Formats: sequence, C-alpha cells, structure tokens
Amino acid sequence: MLPNPASQMPIQSWKSYFEEPVSIAGLVTFRILFGLTMVFSTLRFMALGWIENQYTQPIVHFSYYGFDWVKPLQVEGMYLVFGLMALASLLIILGAYYRLASSVFFILFTYVELLDKTYYLNHYYFVSLVSFMLVWVPAHRAYSWDVWRQPKLQLSHIPRWMLGVFRLQLAIVYIYAGMAKISYDWLVLALPLKIWLPAKANLPWIGFIFRYKMTSYLFSWGGMLYDLFIPFLLLYRPTRVWAYLAVIGFHTMTGLLFQIGVFPLVMIMLSLVFFPTKLHQQVLDYVGKGLRAEPSTPRPRRSFSNRMLPGFFLVFIFIQLLFPWRYVLYPGNFFWTEEAYRFSWRVMLMEKAGTATFYVKDTCTGREGVVVNSEFLNAHQEKQMAMQPDMILQFAHFLGEHYAQQGLCAPEVRAEVYVTLNGRPSELLIDPRVNLTQKSHGWAHKDWILPHSQLPSFF
Amino acid sequence: MKTSVSLFVLLSICLVLGSCSDSGSGQDPSDTFNQGEMLENMADNLIVPGFQSLETQVGLLDQSLDAFVQSPSTNTLDAAQSQWESAFMTWQSANSYNFGPGDRSLGTLEVLLGTFPVNTANIEANITDPSFDLNSSFALDIRGFLAIEYLLFGTSDDAAVVTQFTNSAARGTYLQTLSENLVSTVQDVNTEWATFSSSFVSQTGTDVGSSTTILFNNFASGFESLKNFKVGLPAGKRPGQTQAEPEQVEALYSAKSLEAIEAHLNTIENIWRGRSSSGQDGLGFVEYLNSVEGGPALVSATEAQLTAARAALSAVPDLSLSQNISQNITAVETLHTELQKLTRFFKSDMASLLGLSITFNSGDGD
Repeated sequence: MLPNPASQMPIQSWKSYFEEPVSIAGLVTFRILFGLTMVFSTLRFMALGWIENQYTQPIVHFSYYGFDWVKPLQVEGMYLVFGLMALASLLIILGAYYRLASSVFFILFTYVELLDKTYYLNHYYFVSLVSFMLVWVPAHRAYSWDVWRQPKLQLSHIPRWMLGVFRLQLAIVYIYAGMAKISYDWLVLALPLKIWLPAKANLPWIGFIFRYKMTSYLFSWGGMLYDLFIPFLLLYRPTRVWAYLAVIGFHTMTGLLFQIGVFPLVMIMLSLVFFPTKLHQQVLDYVGKGLRAEPSTPRPRRSFSNRMLPGFFLVFIFIQLLFPWRYVLYPGNFFWTEEAYRFSWRVMLMEKAGTATFYVKDTCTGREGVVVNSEFLNAHQEKQMAMQPDMILQFAHFLGEHYAQQGLCAPEVRAEVYVTLNGRPSELLIDPRVNLTQKSHGWAHKDWILPHSQLPSFF
Repeated sequence: MKTSVSLFVLLSICLVLGSCSDSGSGQDPSDTFNQGEMLENMADNLIVPGFQSLETQVGLLDQSLDAFVQSPSTNTLDAAQSQWESAFMTWQSANSYNFGPGDRSLGTLEVLLGTFPVNTANIEANITDPSFDLNSSFALDIRGFLAIEYLLFGTSDDAAVVTQFTNSAARGTYLQTLSENLVSTVQDVNTEWATFSSSFVSQTGTDVGSSTTILFNNFASGFESLKNFKVGLPAGKRPGQTQAEPEQVEALYSAKSLEAIEAHLNTIENIWRGRSSSGQDGLGFVEYLNSVEGGPALVSATEAQLTAARAALSAVPDLSLSQNISQNITAVETLHTELQKLTRFFKSDMASLLGLSITFNSGDGD
C-alpha cells in the first residue's frame, strides 16, 4: 500500500527506494511532538505525587529479572531524575544538545521503568523504544537550536527508511495489539468489555449505550479491526484523513472510558508521522515564519547518509517483530500464566484480579503465620502481584528474607492465590503447597502454576 | 468503499454472535440496576442511621460516666459498664465508614475510636500527669472505646475499680475527657454527614474516587481488619508470633470480644446486602453483583462461605475469646480459616466483576 509501485522491483531498486531522500520535516515534527508529549507526561507524573507513591515510599520493588541492581534513589534524587527528564524533553523539542538530551531522556525514562514492574505499561515501553530510536537519527538537524548555533549541521533531507522505521514501530504496536484481540474471550464473549463497559453506564450523554451487550460486541470487534487496519489506512492516501479522525475518536473514547493516562495523547500525537513530509514541511514553514526562526534564503539540499544505521535499525525492527512471539515457547494459557505477557503489546485485554494469601512457616517450631500484604506493599503493588506468578515469587522471596531477619528459622513461604479472569469464578493460580523460597526467578517455565479449569491450555 | 463493506459484514457477524450468546437471558441485565439508588440506600438506611444511633449511645455513655465519676459505687459502675457495652456494640455497626467525614485529621474513625490493645502504662501515666492534654496528643492507643473499657473493667473486681476512682479524682477527670472526646468526634461526623450525604449519593460511577469504589474499599478493609486483627492476631496467626496471644483481643477487659466480632460481621453482611441494622433490606452489593456478568455465581459462592463463617463463629464455645484462645484454640483457628476463605470473594472477585478501579494510577487493564 506504499505510494510507490515497488512491488516488482529488484533488490537494488528496493534499496534505492528506501534510501531515496525525503524531506526531514516529518522527522522534525515527530521530534517536537514527542518532546511536547513527554514534557506533559513527566510534569503530570510529578504533580500527581506518583514519585513518592510508586518509588520512594514502597518497601518492596518488583524489579525485572536481571535488573535487580536498578534501585530507586532517595526522594530528592528521584525528583532530580524527573526534573532532568522534563528538561531533556524540552531540549528535544528545541533540538538543543540533541544527542545528549535524547540519550539522557532514554536512559532516565528506561531507568524509571525498570524500577518496578508493578507500573509496567505498554505505552511506557513504547516511549522507551521510541526515545531509543530518536537517539540515533538526525531529528535535530533542521528547525533546531543546534542548527541555529551550527548552521553547517543543517540537513534538508533524510533517507526514506528513517521515517519508515518510526511508522513501522507504530504499526507494530497497533497490529500486534490487534492480533492479541483475536481470541475467544475478546471476540465471542466480548470480554472483558462486557464487564468494563456496563461499569461506565453512569457516564453522562453516552453512558446509556453501555447498558447494552451489543455495545460490548461492537466495541470488541471494532477495537480489533481498528488495531489491525489503522496503520494501513493511515499509509494509504485516500483513507488517511479519515483514518486519522478515527485515531482521534478511538483514543479520545478509550481515554474517557478507562484509566490509561497519557497513552491516548501519545498515540494521537505520534500517528501524525503517517502524514506526508510535504505537509509537515508546510506546517514547519508556517510556524517557522511566525517565529522568524529560519532564514528566508532557500535551504541547500543536503541529505543524510550513514552506512551503519540501516543495518542497526534492521536488527532493531527484526527483534521488535520477533520478541512478542516468545509466548509460544511456554505451555499453558498465557492470559492465565502471564508468561511472556509483557513487552508484547497486549493492551487492555483482560479483566484479572486476585487475592494472594502468603503463609510463612518457621521450620524449627512448625508454626505458620498469615502475612498481611498491605504491611509491605502499596495497593497497586498488591493488586498487580496477586495475579502474576513472577511477582508472587518475588514477594515470597522478600518475605522469606524478611522473616529470616526477624528471627524465624529457615522460613518456608507458600501462597494461596485465587484469581478471577474475565469474570470467571476465581481459581487457584499456583500450587499452594509449594515452598516458593525454593523456586528460582528466570525465564524458564514455572511448573508450579496450575492450569485453569475452563480456559484452553494452549493459545 | 470496500473497507466499509467489509466492516459492515464483520460487524454483522459479531452482532449475530452477540445475540446468540445472549439466548435465554433476553434482556440486558445491567439495565435494571441503579447505582444511585444503592448509594442512597447505603447513606439513608445504613450509614447515617448508624452514626445517629452511635451519637445517641455515646451521649448516654457520657451521662452514665459522669454519674459514676461524681459518685463512684458498684451501682453507678454497673450502669456505666452496661452502657459502655451497648455503645460499643453500636460502634461496630458504624466502624466501616472511614471515608469522608469518617476520615478525621488525626486518623480514621476506626483508629480514633477503636484502637486496641490500648497502652495501659501510658494511660496511667497520663492520668497522673497534670499537664497532659488529650486534644494536643497524637497517641491513638490511649483513647477511644477501649481506653474507656480499660478504666471501667481494668481490674477483675468491680469494687477495686470503684476504689481506684474514689481515691483518684484525676482518674475520673481522664475518663470524662475520653468520653467528651468520643462524643464530640461522633457529633462532628454526624453533622458533616448531613451535608456529605448528597455528594456521596451523587458520586456514581466506578472510578477510583466514586462512592461505590470508596464504600467497597472500606467494606473490604473493614472485613480484613476483623479477620486479621480481631481474630488472627490474638490467635497467633501472624508470622513471627511464637504463640497465641489472648491478651491481644479487642475488648479484653470486658470480655465482650466475641459479641463485638459478631456485631462487626453483621455490619459487613449488612453492607453486602444493603440491609439496615433493623433488618430492612434494600439495594446492596448483592443486587449490584446479580446484575453483572458472572455476578450470580459469585453471589452464591459468597453466600455459602458467609454461612460457613457464621457457623464457625457460633461453634466457638460460650466463653470469652481470650479464654477460648487459651482453651479451645482449634475453634478460633477454624473461624479464622473460614473468614480467610471469604476474603477473595470480598476483595478481588467483587471489585473485578463490578469493574471498580482500586488505584489512582493508570493501567493497561492487565
């Protein structure tokens, strides 16, 4: 569907097609929109008091496997991190000290995300990826502070693939999210929307439509089709404007209905990259004239070239395409086990909740006590932990160490975890007899997860 | 356009699927439940009347304490003790509304009125300290119903309590200060509910700040404090406890712990049903759940476990809880286990089916 008859070209023509220079404008507006969104997101995060809530007050942090060396700083330190992130976003908008600013942003944002998987969100992962990609591209070499200081940096063109990778990354998010929706629960039972939408029946104006089951079916199927096809409709010129209106409508709707933070804003902003560079050029010229930021003399035509970069991004995209499929390596239903669930664009897919009761046994006296989880975890951590086996294991290990320090003799920790998935009666998620302190973290399949009685054991 | 045609076809398929899976039920069940009416029932028939009877009861308690302090005798003590018991049981029916007016500056109503065990050494020290001022103290374990209980029931012999008060005017003063503090706190809550009620009823929805979510959170944590602290802790169920600790029961000195537990469980059940303390049944979580996907199954599972928990409570022999813990720990452990089995229904299952948002943070819905 690309606007070029590239279908029957030999390799050489493919190569020249992707390397053909296009205006840098699309990349510049992408940089600016990304920076704007991130300034807002970072300031919002600070203003909501989430730094204390999520990173400095909790006693336990659920780190990612292999990243347990990543620790939160003191509260002042965390504010500094977020302050620097906001500053870096500002510099990204301006294109000032761009390489440094974009690197700092990527490193700090990813650092914060690695601190605790409780707060994992697909769109945070997306922001990490995009900020990483932005480090390597010359998005600051036009309409920027850097060019104003050093005019010889200025570029007018970039190879076509460079915009393509950003479009592709967005397309991956949508299409993989769409594929994830092709499931029995989502399409045939309209779950979890049949739970979530009636809960919104009190909304003014549109609330009444959520009382009807039909609405849940329409939204389930509509959401699946939207995710699967929107990248193509955005790429295809005749449908582009309508598709973008759909982007605005869809994300505004989900933003109003669900607690999903800045995700709608991120997608609405960044999807503009699908518009042709000519349009971006016009917008930039218009804004530039208003600001008198650009010289009125015609720009020299200078294109970007780098021999290493295409290969680098090819590997990057290849990994992106492959990584979400790793769930096929695990037995069991992944909605239930959540093995390989994260980093796979499974967005708003299920209604899942659990109650996890931990029993700690002093092996010398044989006395077993029941843990009050809220003494160690905040509400969000407790909620997320109680349905995800890897977090249950982490908390069990924490409890084992904690009570060993309290003087219990070689404590054994087991957990009785009842989980409800998409409104089904709750069932035991893991074997309640297993001493979790003897089980290790890692990517291996957790054989102490029990199968669900109703869900198919494969997916 | 081709896309709109294929979109139409796909949507038609899903509508057919949708109507197929509906077969039997016919009507959309969520059509019938009015959340605003449930909140109104909760406010008008459970919460506000609960605080009003509590205000009456602490008023009567205040009078009987005054009578006792002015002329300490076994008669006035008996009257004060029985009024304390009556007020304390009424408190159990108002102890699960720790939001809005129930969330005071120093702490929630639950900790201001119901903290246990009290710190008897500090209470004794405060009595003899002429500069002590309850209103400027932040300590919780020296005030509330259970501090008054300690002063009224602190020694096993009533005559000894009378002697304590006869010999020390300061003791009487402290008791009266505690009582005044109790009365004014409850009065304030009551006054504020008169205006808070309408905003409570109007905050419908399932977001984190909605009344249904707030009430649910208070309901669930009220249940958990019953299980963890009123039963589990004295039974030695906390990790690290080397033995049962019968002296950790609520209402240790009056030996009314089991009665208080029963009253507390009644409150939990009343909120679950939307039933007033006089037994008038209105819209509650049961009706709400029965109107949503998967709800009826959860309601019947919960009812069965609630019955089991009640049976375990009545099976605890007719002694005080602390005596039972010392002599019939198995019966108390069974009670704890049956309450534990109820937790998942009241905690995660209910919130999940009703689509209630527990935390402020954004989520992916995973």
